[in-house]
Amino acid sequence: MTDRNIHPTPKPDVPRVAPGSDDHWLSRPATVRAAWRVLGVVLGLLVLAQFLVPVKGHFPLENTFAFGAWFGFLACLAMVLAARVLGWWLKKPESYYGEADTPIDAGPGGGDAGPEAGGDDRA
Amino acid sequence: MQAPVAATPVRKPGAMTVPDFLPPGLVLLAGAVLVALTRGGLRNVVVLGTPLVALWLTWQVPDGVVATATYLDYTVQWVEGSAVRRLFATIFCIMSFVGGLYAFRTARGHELAAAFAYAAGAVGVCFAGDLITLFLFWELMAIFSTVIVFCGGTERSRAAGIRYAVIHLLGGVILKVGIESIMVTTGSIEIRALQAQDFGTWMVLLGILVNAAAPPLSAWLADAYPESSPTGSVFLSAFTTKTAVLALILLFPGESVLIGVGLWMVFYGIIYALLENDARRILAYSIVNQVGFMVTAVGIGTETALNGAAAHAFAHIIYKALLFMSAGVVVYRTGLNRCSDLGGLFRTMPLTCACGIIGALAISSFPLTSGFTTKTLISEGAAAQGMAAVYYLLAAASAGVFLHAGIKFPWFVFFQKDSGLRPKDAPWNMGLAMMIFAAACIGLGVYPDPLYALLPYPEDADFYKPGKVLFYLQLLLFSGLAFFLLLPLMKRTETISLDVDWLWRRALPLAWSWAQSSLDAIRDKAVADLHDAKVKLSAWFATHWGGDGFFARSWPISATALWIAALLAAYVLVYFL
Amino acid sequence: MNLEPHLPALQVVVPLLTAPLVVLLRDARLAWWAALAASAMNFAVAVAITGQVLDGAVVRYDMGGWAAPLGIELRVDALSTILLLVVSGASTLALLGGRASLLEQVGEARQPLFMAAWLLALAGLVGILVSGDAFNIFVFMEISSLATYILVAGGPDRRALPATFKYLVAGTVGATFYLIGVGMVFMMTGTLNIADMELRLATVGDTNIVYVAAGFITIGLALKAAIFPLHAWMPNAYTWAPHVVTAFIAACATKVALYVLLRMDFFVFQKNLVDHELQFAFVLMPLAAMGILFGSIAAVFEPNLKRILAFSSLAQIGYILLGASLVTVAGFNASVLHLFNHALAKGALFLAVVCLGLRYRHLDLADLQGAGRHMPWTLTAFALAGLSLIGVPGTAGFVSKWALIIAALERGALGVALVVLIVVSSLLAVVYVARIVERLWFGEPPGENPAVSEAPWPTLAVTWLAVGANFWFGLNASLPGELAQRAGEAFLRHLP
Repeated sequence: MTDRNIHPTPKPDVPRVAPGSDDHWLSRPATVRAAWRVLGVVLGLLVLAQFLVPVKGHFPLENTFAFGAWFGFLACLAMVLAARVLGWWLKKPESYYGEADTPIDAGPGGGDAGPEAGGDDRA
Repeated sequence: MQAPVAATPVRKPGAMTVPDFLPPGLVLLAGAVLVALTRGGLRNVVVLGTPLVALWLTWQVPDGVVATATYLDYTVQWVEGSAVRRLFATIFCIMSFVGGLYAFRTARGHELAAAFAYAAGAVGVCFAGDLITLFLFWELMAIFSTVIVFCGGTERSRAAGIRYAVIHLLGGVILKVGIESIMVTTGSIEIRALQAQDFGTWMVLLGILVNAAAPPLSAWLADAYPESSPTGSVFLSAFTTKTAVLALILLFPGESVLIGVGLWMVFYGIIYALLENDARRILAYSIVNQVGFMVTAVGIGTETALNGAAAHAFAHIIYKALLFMSAGVVVYRTGLNRCSDLGGLFRTMPLTCACGIIGALAISSFPLTSGFTTKTLISEGAAAQGMAAVYYLLAAASAGVFLHAGIKFPWFVFFQKDSGLRPKDAPWNMGLAMMIFAAACIGLGVYPDPLYALLPYPEDADFYKPGKVLFYLQLLLFSGLAFFLLLPLMKRTETISLDVDWLWRRALPLAWSWAQSSLDAIRDKAVADLHDAKVKLSAWFATHWGGDGFFARSWPISATALWIAALLAAYVLVYFL
Repeated sequence: MNLEPHLPALQVVVPLLTAPLVVLLRDARLAWWAALAASAMNFAVAVAITGQVLDGAVVRYDMGGWAAPLGIELRVDALSTILLLVVSGASTLALLGGRASLLEQVGEARQPLFMAAWLLALAGLVGILVSGDAFNIFVFMEISSLATYILVAGGPDRRALPATFKYLVAGTVGATFYLIGVGMVFMMTGTLNIADMELRLATVGDTNIVYVAAGFITIGLALKAAIFPLHAWMPNAYTWAPHVVTAFIAACATKVALYVLLRMDFFVFQKNLVDHELQFAFVLMPLAAMGILFGSIAAVFEPNLKRILAFSSLAQIGYILLGASLVTVAGFNASVLHLFNHALAKGALFLAVVCLGLRYRHLDLADLQGAGRHMPWTLTAFALAGLSLIGVPGTAGFVSKWALIIAALERGALGVALVVLIVVSSLLAVVYVARIVERLWFGEPPGENPAVSEAPWPTLAVTWLAVGANFWFGLNASLPGELAQRAGEAFLRHLP
């Protein structure tokens, strides 16, 4: 099987370092806090801009104040929660269908035992 | 089902006309053969040159029927041009070029050849003037896209490829039966607007929806696309679903059931993408989501809406390919697919990260990107028809798109946490391909008029009015706020999500083995009673259906003699009655 | 000397006279060359007759100059022609590509006798196709059957012997039933000439004895044509025969029997028996449908490669019968097209099996796993021919399946049910073909097989020729299409 595995998974020669060992400016806590503050300011400005810029909507609901803001936020909230609820039902471990996933630490071509030999009942 | 009119199409003697230029589909097909046969520098020239030639030829195709031929005693119009057909063929040729640029140094010869044959099928469908030609090229696409899935090279891609092949064959058969039924009832094989009202038209619609990945006929997309190679998935993302959209535009514009189907697809894609862990599978579900927008637009059916569907398809091919390209680079460099294994890659892959972000913004219809100038046409179409519910749902969906693709994808792959991986950035050709498409995303966002000029109906919408821009910025950025606030609820888990294919991957084998074991039990008992005349009947039944197959065992000659006598008696009896 | 008017007679005479000649030639090589030459000449004559028939004529020939109905008449029309092409073509291709395989399986010493039997079988089959006389058909049927039994038993596998015995019993019973039926008709009409029978039966048509005669003839021929459930002899006979023989008889033996069934039924009985078309609706169509279903399902579970293809043939015969039992021009058209196209597809498949047989002793799927990696050309040919069997556009199989679905849809509600059946069996065909290709390509070779090489190029070349024919006739079906159309019109003119 190994020589047929032309798609390299996973590569053992990817350069790696210990996680969190370097100090990139984007991942520092100070930067994260600053980003949150900037976001907050931008969001506030967007809401306030509604006073200056007339938003004429096609339908009545659209003309409420800051429609885009609260509608977007609530829609996302709803979808994330719906996904979570459905996830309790739909999520299964990766080996559910019996096709082994190649684990990260295994060499190439590892873990492909599976019901592949008797392919009669698989459509 | 009405009684069919026995209208067999008139057989015209050998009416074959040939255009005085090469049809672009044939050029791509020839390119595929050449790619398979050549090596090294010559092959690279073919890979990069053929799509450009095909693109030029696309613009030579005039409106109307250009070429006819006889096949199966029907006159088929195998090249017919129009504005929307040229639009789709244009983006397909561009896609072949950029995809070839992305892939030519790493992909294997047969994958490239299959990709070109696949593109040839797509372009062939674009210019198909009648249903038979459409079907022939449709099957060509199915065959070669299956080959691409198989070129993923792993056990999983083989298994996924088999499931992909089966469902596309099934879709093809449904389409075939529908086409034949239409031929029998109406006597015509023209491609023109139809309504889903009888057996034939419903079958054709279903067959097209299989390719458009409408759930529950969509499990193949999220199953097969992530298992293909990094270069293969770029090609796969572009053609099958968009030719289905074109087929819908040509055959079922304004078919109201498509509005419901489209909206269902939109939200299905978002929810499943939110649950997903594999990076490319997120993008695959995102395809279902975006195609849902296009299907809804076709369902609305007005000029603006159809313009929106076509423009969105054009822009979508570009930014989806861009997203798959950036995901592909990550997979190529690290060999890892799952978000839970990735993160923090922005440090060493800035170009890939930037291109991925641009693609993500484009798919979310962020102002100044191509998504903003194209997808909004669809919402405008819905609003113009007074479809308030559709409009609100599309707006919610736009927020959802930003959530699952606009932020989730780049965040989990490139930022999120430091996974410790420091892979190299994209090789030069992949980087160049990504930059071309990233530039196109921004370019079409800032200056969409060239695209509008290609649309089937005249379009002069201008979305850069302050109110519109403000609305979208509010919508998207507050969705972003929601994402970061709800981040703890969206932790990546090492799981998969069950889809409709559970039916044939789990339920069907279980039911089958249950049936086999119960029938084995029946047979064992029945065989024991075989000599008893009273239970000969049950024995017949049991051996008939037993595990190793009555029909597979050699029947003794006495059985045949019995059958001969029985049949003869039956035959003669029928006559005496 | 102008050969043209004598072509129908030559069709039979050439192989018939070459057969004893071949026995006299002791050398295996010469025997093969002689048989090939006779077969090729046979094919050339068939092509020449095709030319004549396409010009619109029904070719007639009176043996010895004695005019029908007292004399023995040979009559070749569109349906006979298309089958003549199939039979002689299959024989030629099988011989051309099968030399190495036959030497290996039959042995050098027995080649001359084997070739003689082959030529007799060929002579018998073409004799049936050109005959215009019911008893003549019986004579040729017996000649071909007896010769075929010898061919089937000729291989090295001992399981061929009980298979041949079963085939012999079934075939003899079938032929005898046919003879009984013909005898009864002779008793009532006083003639054996088919055209004449049709006229004379008009007066005596409604009697019980004619109905019984029709029953005997139909059942007898159904036995020979391996129509479900009278097919028991077929899978084993196909499987244990030498591979080259299977390539030949799979393409034509049962089809010739079907031809006789259709001719007797449409020409002689349809007009003259009240409600005779009901036999199609109530007897033959259900049997065809069951044959399609069960053949396809059984093929999915079979472990032996040749048996899978044999059960597939059962299903395909079902398609042909289904088309005919629609009793419309379109249905008949589809049926005849499938006669031709299936012969192409199955012929190519079995030729690929010949290639495999040259390198592998046992043809169970378990033994053939991974064979494709050593024999990629063979497996590709097999896969492409398999595509034709499934009915992928661009192949011959697609053309006839398309025509069959159109013909079925013209029947309204029943047609939709038939279409569902055709669709389901097509999907099953995908399953069993894909299963074979998958195992042979991706499977792990069992045990320690020494490195196997590709099949010898002559056999491979002929296989690819057959595969190419599938694609040629898939894209340009004008020849079989024209003949099928004529056959349909001719046969349906005989309806009341």
